[in-house]
Amino acid sequence: MKENYDVAVLGGGPAGLAAALAADAAGASVLLIEREGRLGGILKQCIHDGFGLVRFGKKLAGPEYAQHFIDALAQSKVETALLTFATHAEQTPDGVKLTLVSRAGMHTITVKKLVLATGCRERTARQVAIHGTRPAGIFTAGAAQYYTNILGELPTKRCVILGSGDIGLIMARRLTLEGAEVLGVYEAKPTPSGLARNISQCLKDFDIPISTSHTVTRVFGKERLEAVEIAEVDAAMQPKPGTAKRIDCDALILSVGLIPENELAETLGVALDKRTKGPVCDQNGQTMTEGIYACGNALHVNDLVDYVTESGEIAGRAAAAASAQRSLCPLATQGEFLYAVPQQIDLATLKTQTVLFFRVSREMQNAMVTLSVNGKTILEKRYRHLRPPEMERLAVDLSSAGLAQNSALLLTVKEADKTE
Amino acid sequence: MQSAAKLTELLRGQFGNTVSAKEQNGILYLSGHLPDWDSVVAAGRLCADPKSRRMVVNDIAATGCERPKMQLPTMEDKALEGAAPDVLVIGAGVVGCAIARELARYDVTVLLVEKEHDVGMQASSRNDGMVHPGIDLKPWQVKQKYNLAGNRMYPEICRELEVPFARTGQIIGITQAWARAVLPLSVHYWRRMGIPCNYLSRDALLKKEPHLAPDVACGLEFPTAGIVCPYGLTIAYAENAVQNGVKLSLDTAVLGMKVQDGKIYAVRTNRGTIRPKVVVNAAGVFSEEIAQMANDRFFSIHPRKGTNAILDKKAAFRVQTIASLLGTAATKSAHSKGGGLVRTVDGNLLVGPDAVETAAKEDYATNAESVHATFAKQKNALPELSEADIITYFTGVRAATYEEDFVICPGRATKNLVHAAGIQSPGLTAAPAIGVAVAKMAAELVGTTKKNSKFQPHRTAVPHLSSLPQAERNALIHQNPDFGVIVCRCEEISRGEIIAALHRPVPCDTVDGVKRRVRPGMGRCQGGFCGPLVTQIIAEELHKPLEQVCKSGEGSELLLAPTKAETGQSNF
Repeated sequence: MKENYDVAVLGGGPAGLAAALAADAAGASVLLIEREGRLGGILKQCIHDGFGLVRFGKKLAGPEYAQHFIDALAQSKVETALLTFATHAEQTPDGVKLTLVSRAGMHTITVKKLVLATGCRERTARQVAIHGTRPAGIFTAGAAQYYTNILGELPTKRCVILGSGDIGLIMARRLTLEGAEVLGVYEAKPTPSGLARNISQCLKDFDIPISTSHTVTRVFGKERLEAVEIAEVDAAMQPKPGTAKRIDCDALILSVGLIPENELAETLGVALDKRTKGPVCDQNGQTMTEGIYACGNALHVNDLVDYVTESGEIAGRAAAAASAQRSLCPLATQGEFLYAVPQQIDLATLKTQTVLFFRVSREMQNAMVTLSVNGKTILEKRYRHLRPPEMERLAVDLSSAGLAQNSALLLTVKEADKTE
Repeated sequence: MQSAAKLTELLRGQFGNTVSAKEQNGILYLSGHLPDWDSVVAAGRLCADPKSRRMVVNDIAATGCERPKMQLPTMEDKALEGAAPDVLVIGAGVVGCAIARELARYDVTVLLVEKEHDVGMQASSRNDGMVHPGIDLKPWQVKQKYNLAGNRMYPEICRELEVPFARTGQIIGITQAWARAVLPLSVHYWRRMGIPCNYLSRDALLKKEPHLAPDVACGLEFPTAGIVCPYGLTIAYAENAVQNGVKLSLDTAVLGMKVQDGKIYAVRTNRGTIRPKVVVNAAGVFSEEIAQMANDRFFSIHPRKGTNAILDKKAAFRVQTIASLLGTAATKSAHSKGGGLVRTVDGNLLVGPDAVETAAKEDYATNAESVHATFAKQKNALPELSEADIITYFTGVRAATYEEDFVICPGRATKNLVHAAGIQSPGLTAAPAIGVAVAKMAAELVGTTKKNSKFQPHRTAVPHLSSLPQAERNALIHQNPDFGVIVCRCEEISRGEIIAALHRPVPCDTVDGVKRRVRPGMGRCQGGFCGPLVTQIIAEELHKPLEQVCKSGEGSELLLAPTKAETGQSNF
């Protein structure tokens, strides 16, 4: 390991791999830092297929998808530090000083740019306020997946899944294939959280029932989980009296949401967006702190790995370029959006294509999404369906839109009037 | 002190003719039945006279309310058959472990038994970790004496045992403006009891706790208050005890005793019958059951639940000390210290506890109402407090007597017995002093005052790498590269620390045991990432199949069977 690099990429999952390769291709000296012993991030344990449809036009398993980039890395000049953890980061006049810990000891390096590709973590049972005892048998879907696919050990023989996030749906099918009984998937929201294709391929094809507007209110069992209490919830997610029922099971698997990991970003004073829980950034993935970039699920939780790769490439390429004074124009939203990224557009580096992502906050039919500058529409797109679980990508040419720092750049969504 | 006849009259006036009181050998026995547990507790309270030696034994049954029996280990063997220690200590909570460690200073043999799979599994790991200054206690209470003595011992004991301790001070704010006139004078009340106390003007208070309620008028500061990790201290005491020759037997429950002519001859456990010279009752919520077995029951325990919530370290900047607000109707409940906001030694913020009577001594289930109520109350003190910052919550059960005082004394009817019973808050604070006092009583009963010349008071802790200066951390990694492999990212805990926790004087072979010792899984992801890795390390280090690794006690195996496929490649 050297003492200086142009770019350090933190995290060797799909976003970090893409960022490191892109920065390398753009001529930067790159260090890719990964805290585990192998590259690939969470893809290592995603042995199901469905990855790469957008990028490679075919369905790959998670490790296969990752291998494409790991192989490319071997052909590049990127240096990789495995089993290496960044304990501290601070800005200095020369860039970012990183303190790294590994089996070799403590090392300090200084990099001109830092790309955060730290991924996300799962919400826990406590964060969704599950009460009762604290037995063994309550697992996040990701932990259950690690046990099953990496350790080759089943964490359950008869379980209930709370939350209909994609990993939960994938695990419903995986555990069923391994001979475990999945009694049902319960979702507190009125609609499923996962992709439609996963509802179909992981639940319907295996006759696993899904109950929306239902949640787990309590768990039972001293040492090992013995049962859970399920109740119907109202629109405010509060359990309806008299609807509680007890289901005997040995595990509760949680797929109740993902949170971008930005603890190191916070120590650097990087501004975060309350809606995405990731950094506020421009179209290059540069955060509001100069020289710090973010990509992949650290930026916002993506639905497809293909988009994670794209975001890594954008951030990596931009991080390799020379610093330039930014001229920022905010992207505002109007209507029922969960969020839109990037939150800022840098006019100084605008290219002919700018990629925007958004999610709506409720299911909509025949919705019109409009992008306007100072009230003048520059892009309109009609969607037959918009669903919160599905992230939408918009590629738009903003370079000829006459944007200025004080322009009103506005993304709106409007559902067609039902009477029309 | 009122007579039993008078108390029967009072009881019947309030609860009806189904209950009565009777006095015998200086003990007040209550009998009969009442419709619910809260009435049983209320009847006991009515008859308690904390200033007298006569204590309440409450045998009133609550109709339709089941009182669950003590949960017992399922294992049975003869590992302890024929053991004849000088002293048998029952219960390895912080009190039992402190007693065992202090007994090791004497030339006596000590056996410490615990029914759980680890030490400090009940009240000792389920409290807020506060080292109390002793402000709400009365001079005639046993617990005040031990609280004040224990508090003074903390810096030294924590230095000897290498346990983090911080004297943060406790700040109590008051919103009523009239308090500005009275409060400056009130400091003398505590100072006279030997408790340092300072008056804080509004400005001085907000300087120390800038996020506290903006409508606070003034407050008091008790600089001797502090914080400690309660299970950390319990484990440290146990390790130092074992290091000094105390024999510890886990998964060992006392099932009965042979008592004759005021003397315990034999103690029956699930692991054999023990013939100790002297028995110490440090059995927490079950100290009444142990007293009963020893034919020396003169007090009753009415368990009281308390729930605490732990907040993300990111929320901890809002509180620097131990802070609470007095004078809002919500803060004053009869037998709780009122709860508060505690900045823990590990840098989290702890909120709670509440106080709820329960008939079940081992009911550690949490419920949403407790957490909501605690937050609603503490929001008065800290308006920015948010339930969204909660990373976990837990419930403990306090071992309260009806006199609301500790029982620390030799047996009344049984002579080779010492009680360290009825230890509720401030039991953690008092534990070091109780340890010294009870060890002395037990040694005297054994008939020795001779000291163990080989006693080593110092215990070396597992190094906590992330808190070390870089050069020191680097040097340790060079000695043991596993110290450089981070397994728990939230708390930055290395593989080396986890392995070290598995090879200590007190056995540890569970995921929760490792978590209590070196903290992987204590952070915001609650073990989502590191749980499986810790499971794997335990299996490798202790040469067990993965399916035998438990979360906590017997029967809490995490994994049930191998999958159909071959095992994958580990990520580490």
